[in-house]
Amino acid sequence: MNQAIHPLKGKIMSGAETVVQVLADQGVDVIFGYSGGAILPTYDAVFRYNAENLREDGTEPMPLIVPANEQGAGFMAAGYARASGNVGTVMVTSGPGATNTVTPVRDAMADSTPLVVICGQVPTSAIGTDAFQEAPVSSCLGPVAKHTFLITDPKKLEMTVRTAFEIARSGRPGPVVIDLPKDVQNWSGEFAGRGYLAVPGYRQRLHAARGNHLEESELAGFFEMLQGSSRPLIYAGGGVINGDATEELRRFADHFGIPVTTTLMGIGAVDTTAPLSLHMLGMHGLASANYAVEDCDFLIALGARFDDRVAGLPDKFAPNARHIAQFDIDPSEIDKVKPVDWHHVGILKTDLQALYDYGVAREIKPDFSAWHGEIADLKKRYALNYDRESEEIQPYAVIEAINAITQGDAIISTGVGQHQMWAAQYFDYKHARLWLTSGSMGTMGYGLPAAIGAQFAARDHLVIDVDGDASIRMNLGELETATTYGLPVKVLVMNNYGDGMVRQWQKLFYEGRHMASDKSLRSKDFVKTAQADGFEYAERLSDPGDIDRVVREWLEFPAPAFLEVVIDRDAGVYPMVPPGAAYDQMITGDWIPSRVKTAKKEVDRSSMF
Amino acid sequence: MVAIMRHIISLLVSNEAGALARVSALFSTRGYNIESLNVAPTQNPDISRLTLVTRGSDTVIEQINQQLLKLVDVVGTADMTMDDHIERELLLLKACVTSDQIDGIREAVDDFGARVLDDRPEAFTVELTGISEYVGEFIKRVESGCKLISVVRSGAMAVSRGEALLGGL
Repeated sequence: MNQAIHPLKGKIMSGAETVVQVLADQGVDVIFGYSGGAILPTYDAVFRYNAENLREDGTEPMPLIVPANEQGAGFMAAGYARASGNVGTVMVTSGPGATNTVTPVRDAMADSTPLVVICGQVPTSAIGTDAFQEAPVSSCLGPVAKHTFLITDPKKLEMTVRTAFEIARSGRPGPVVIDLPKDVQNWSGEFAGRGYLAVPGYRQRLHAARGNHLEESELAGFFEMLQGSSRPLIYAGGGVINGDATEELRRFADHFGIPVTTTLMGIGAVDTTAPLSLHMLGMHGLASANYAVEDCDFLIALGARFDDRVAGLPDKFAPNARHIAQFDIDPSEIDKVKPVDWHHVGILKTDLQALYDYGVAREIKPDFSAWHGEIADLKKRYALNYDRESEEIQPYAVIEAINAITQGDAIISTGVGQHQMWAAQYFDYKHARLWLTSGSMGTMGYGLPAAIGAQFAARDHLVIDVDGDASIRMNLGELETATTYGLPVKVLVMNNYGDGMVRQWQKLFYEGRHMASDKSLRSKDFVKTAQADGFEYAERLSDPGDIDRVVREWLEFPAPAFLEVVIDRDAGVYPMVPPGAAYDQMITGDWIPSRVKTAKKEVDRSSMF
Repeated sequence: MVAIMRHIISLLVSNEAGALARVSALFSTRGYNIESLNVAPTQNPDISRLTLVTRGSDTVIEQINQQLLKLVDVVGTADMTMDDHIERELLLLKACVTSDQIDGIREAVDDFGARVLDDRPEAFTVELTGISEYVGEFIKRVESGCKLISVVRSGAMAVSRGEALLGGL
């Protein structure tokens, strides 16, 4: 990295001060965390760092944002990381502080989100004695994190913290946990201002992937497949966004006229309003996108992993594709689910640029206009739709009303369930990093803290948490965090009095027995809750005629604003490819046409998840 | 039919706290089996060698290999069974041998090239090295002739024949 001599080289610092200095050097401009005995020295060092380095406008360079629960801190950091592309930083105490981060750490691993989680730990001498607030952090977090470090040798502290950031952001990004005993925080030694741990295997593999450029023969092979196809389709995943390859993808796809569908995690990789964008595919993907997957004869997977929510039946996924090409940074994703006949492990950004350059230099310009016509027809014929005459508020209409104002430029975070899928389907996303959701883990409660974190990444951007009544309950305590820090986040709760997605499955697969998913008899008053937590704008919307007016009022409120919308309890998420089924089994519901007559098929309940 | 084969995988891992736990956790979380596992330092004190025996189809073994390579502590992996290699396992076996059994046991020891470490009949202890299958056959032979007390096996270890894999270590 920077070879310049650090101005603080040689300064005697405590371990805690060392940690904070490395954070500052790594560009950390916000920490999310909750205090406790075992992390107090480092919290104190953050206090002193901020006091000594106040910005000219009087703000702190490294504010420490305190959630209601450490899980909230983890998701705030994830929201920050996803919205900014930087590493999100969490700092919590030992024991319960650390174990409360297990869920966001696993979530970040599953969605490849870069985090560094620093957990205080009991002093080295007390480890293993069942000390107060002691938990086996490496054992709990090791299997769910990209890596964990337990620092027992304080001389390695500085290098370890620096290396943790490097590991979190490099290769396939992920969460790195540092287990930091209290005595190491209180140790004092000389600050070196440079140096990394060796991690020889990791670094060698990273170097190999970075150096693995597309060779002439690979490029020729790829273009042979492209030119031999008449219906090519790009299937872009979260790797495009994590790999900062959005611009290169758009240029490549536009130039060669290749339509793009994205995964849930890839939303925003292309402008969803562009003519050749098919938006999301998969279980709740758009019918047009799924039909295009059925029709394509050449599928190009970019940073996407054939997840079960995309390829429920891998054998029958893209059944007409004569070739499938896969690009990924992670070799373990090649052939993991769906065998492909061409692949490349490398850096997506440079690979897409290389593809573009190669095709342009050779004036390759295949004519896919017939396919473009088919795509336009699919998009028109099988567009999303719903009951527009209903007397009850349709959730889709609420999103359309918000989108009419935000125009595809707001940052949207979500919980997990029906509202998440509606937000994915019905909002426009013109750019990357506008869409924050828990994709792989499907963690309810992600939305509110993620929105809070995102607001720190994009202070002047409109950030909306689109939530459900059940999801928001999971981290409801964070409402107060939004008002405490004066964050102008907009919180939307689509209240259908229960776990809507669970109800939908129970309706479809369990003869309508709504076991444990009905919350209509509960006494929660969301508006009062928001008011009690300091929201000056907190309204309930229940008349469809008020949607436009109230939504505008809510969005324009210049401070945290809360809106509960009482929606049609029977509103479903369609299309739906049943779990473990192929796309030709897709149910499009009452309002979207289907091009195949789907015979109702018995679904094996145990293989269905 | 997918062929399930036995594989000996050799891993070099950084000698860090938790490295062994991470490798074994990977196997349990992803549902792979470990038949045996052996770990000890190499000539480089910073690096340990971990040898494990697992079974799986080619696809599963490839996933195991790729997933192992995602662990930050893992310096390198080699599937010994894919190339020419030498396999050995060390057995320490203790048996209780009566006077009418002793000749049969001594014969087994000679046949297999084992070595007697303690010849007291109530704690008759031998050592044997060989490929795991050979070690298994010896145990069966002894078991058929007397009462076993302890069977201590190191698990298979392997080294490539000829040129060294994994950067010479």
